[in-house]
Amino acid sequence: MKFHWFHGMPWPHLPAEFRDRNRSVWVDADASLYDPVEGGRLYHEYLDQMEYAEQVGFDGLIVNEHHQNVFGLMPSPQLMAAALARRTSRVAIIMLGMSIALYRPATRAAEEIAMLDVLSGGRIVAGFPLGTPMDTNFAYGANPADFRRVYREHHDLILRAWQDPDVFAWHGESTRLRYVNIWPRPIQQPHPPIWIPADGISSETWDFCAERGYNYVCLASRGIAAAQAAMDGFWSRIEARGVEPNPYQGAVSQTIVVARTDDEAQQRYEPHFEYSSRHTQDDFPGWSEAPGWRTERGIRERAAQTMRELANPHPARIPTWQERLHAGSLAAGSPETVTEQLEHLVKSLRAGHLIGVFHLGDMTHDLTLRSTRLFAEQVIPRLRHLWEDHEDHWSPRPIATQQSRAPRRDLAGVN
Amino acid sequence: MAELQTLDLTPGGQTAHVWQGGDADSPALLFLHPITGIPRWGEALEALANDFRVIAPYQPGWGPAKDDLPGVRDGLDLVLFNVDLLNTLGVGSAHVVGVSIGGWIGAEIAAIRPDAVQSLTLVNPLGLWSESHPGEDPFAQHPGFPTAVLFSDPEKRNELLMADRDPMDAYVEELLDLRASAKFLWPIPDTGVGRRLVRIDTRTLIATSEHDNVVAHEMGDIWRAAIPGAQSVQLAGSGHIADLEAPAALADLVRNFALAGVTA
Repeated sequence: MKFHWFHGMPWPHLPAEFRDRNRSVWVDADASLYDPVEGGRLYHEYLDQMEYAEQVGFDGLIVNEHHQNVFGLMPSPQLMAAALARRTSRVAIIMLGMSIALYRPATRAAEEIAMLDVLSGGRIVAGFPLGTPMDTNFAYGANPADFRRVYREHHDLILRAWQDPDVFAWHGESTRLRYVNIWPRPIQQPHPPIWIPADGISSETWDFCAERGYNYVCLASRGIAAAQAAMDGFWSRIEARGVEPNPYQGAVSQTIVVARTDDEAQQRYEPHFEYSSRHTQDDFPGWSEAPGWRTERGIRERAAQTMRELANPHPARIPTWQERLHAGSLAAGSPETVTEQLEHLVKSLRAGHLIGVFHLGDMTHDLTLRSTRLFAEQVIPRLRHLWEDHEDHWSPRPIATQQSRAPRRDLAGVN
Repeated sequence: MAELQTLDLTPGGQTAHVWQGGDADSPALLFLHPITGIPRWGEALEALANDFRVIAPYQPGWGPAKDDLPGVRDGLDLVLFNVDLLNTLGVGSAHVVGVSIGGWIGAEIAAIRPDAVQSLTLVNPLGLWSESHPGEDPFAQHPGFPTAVLFSDPEKRNELLMADRDPMDAYVEELLDLRASAKFLWPIPDTGVGRRLVRIDTRTLIATSEHDNVVAHEMGDIWRAAIPGAQSVQLAGSGHIADLEAPAALADLVRNFALAGVTA
């Protein structure tokens, strides 16, 4: 079993009246609420937390891409990955990921991932999310009507740019390049592992991952039932291809809180969940479905749920701590409790990679580190053995440490 | 009685799904539908068919032509599709009526093939952008009722667009029609037609609806000023989808302007 540490890098200082004055935490939230000086302090604090996760034994650090988003201050995951590449030496750096359809030309994404792979000594995972409508269509103006086609084209171009030894011409619909010949090339050959994060049920994503042998990442943030349905769908596609499922081809993300006791976990951490929920509950629905973002198949898969929700509208309410635990959208409590919850989660889903969300909303630095350390010291050892009879083909394959040059920290006396 | 036909077009080779109604000897009228496509042979088309030979195609990407969207890249492709349709039907020129996104397409046809257009009526046309009058974003809407903003009253979506149809099919078509519209209007409905409007030398009427949330009535003045000799009027009581909300008034407007040159 592999354990990874995710940071969303949220803004923790929204005023109490935020939702009275803003319809959404995305796209058009009042940017005057952002304080750049405090933002700088936060970036360093958040990066410190991620570096700490390497020190205490996590296998990977996860960065992601959001735009114009109060809860995701990482428009460029590459920049954070670059910072982490210099300050870490062992962990995988998992880009989960770059919204490749937004890069024009997409060779820019191929180049930057290759740069990071080289800089980190081959520790990069390339995550290729489709991206949300908020990020891609509304904030970045990408046309939803042909967005999936662009995504596929950019995917194909990036893969070829990494692998084709020759200069080639790319005559696509989105991109035309007479000379593709990127420098540098990735250390990991033929290319870094590719992970595809999916939010919700999308049979198209299952097929995409199954056909290409990519890692499928599902989120437990909507509860274990939804995550189970998503992962079951993916494994069914793998089995349909006559392949024995390997748990390491699946990853699940979960919000995790570890304290000395179950009560302490709730008492100390619950207020920080309320901060996130209060601001994201009932977010502006107009951002959720840019026309064309779903295919016809996707619309039909989603439509029944939309119609059910419309037929039975219920006022949104922030779930209680116990409701979160019951739904499985949170793993929290003593090390023993969390071990039990996560063992159930990863075994049910047959997931070999667990992505832990240890920081949320306005959670303090100390609480974040405390939970992280307890998890590393008391939960990881109890779960590490899971799936030990399978080989992990979806983690990076870094070069040997002696080949990799560490940053020099003391250059005094150099002329 | 009107019928929905499937035609192979020459010389372009596209397939057209087209409603036709009215007397074959009446003056030809090309109806260019709005964002919401053509949910049925409705009141507006029926009323127009009293005076015209009505030709009402689904533009590539809408309704039964949903799978044709990847084959069209821009406004020129849409112009050629409609010109090929007239050609295939043996119609040398027609009165052109465009509602909403159809207004943009009509203006493109008139600018590029003035010989094919006898008169031009643009109702709540999209395709020009004014920062001062942006209107509501038709693509940032609740997914449960995604076109409600296009009507003067959200309930009219149920009544005029969704009624008498299979709910799932109607909903899927509604979203796919929006997808087709987004292909040309995302993220800002500036199609570039503004550079070509000066070329229009056809009699032109711009109509804006009183309760259009998407195309502000000031946009009617901007269109009128950009098209030489154009006139403008307001349609009382209607939202953006005027062919569904004000079918009789729309048909009267078109009949009076196209056949008699009257704009009152």
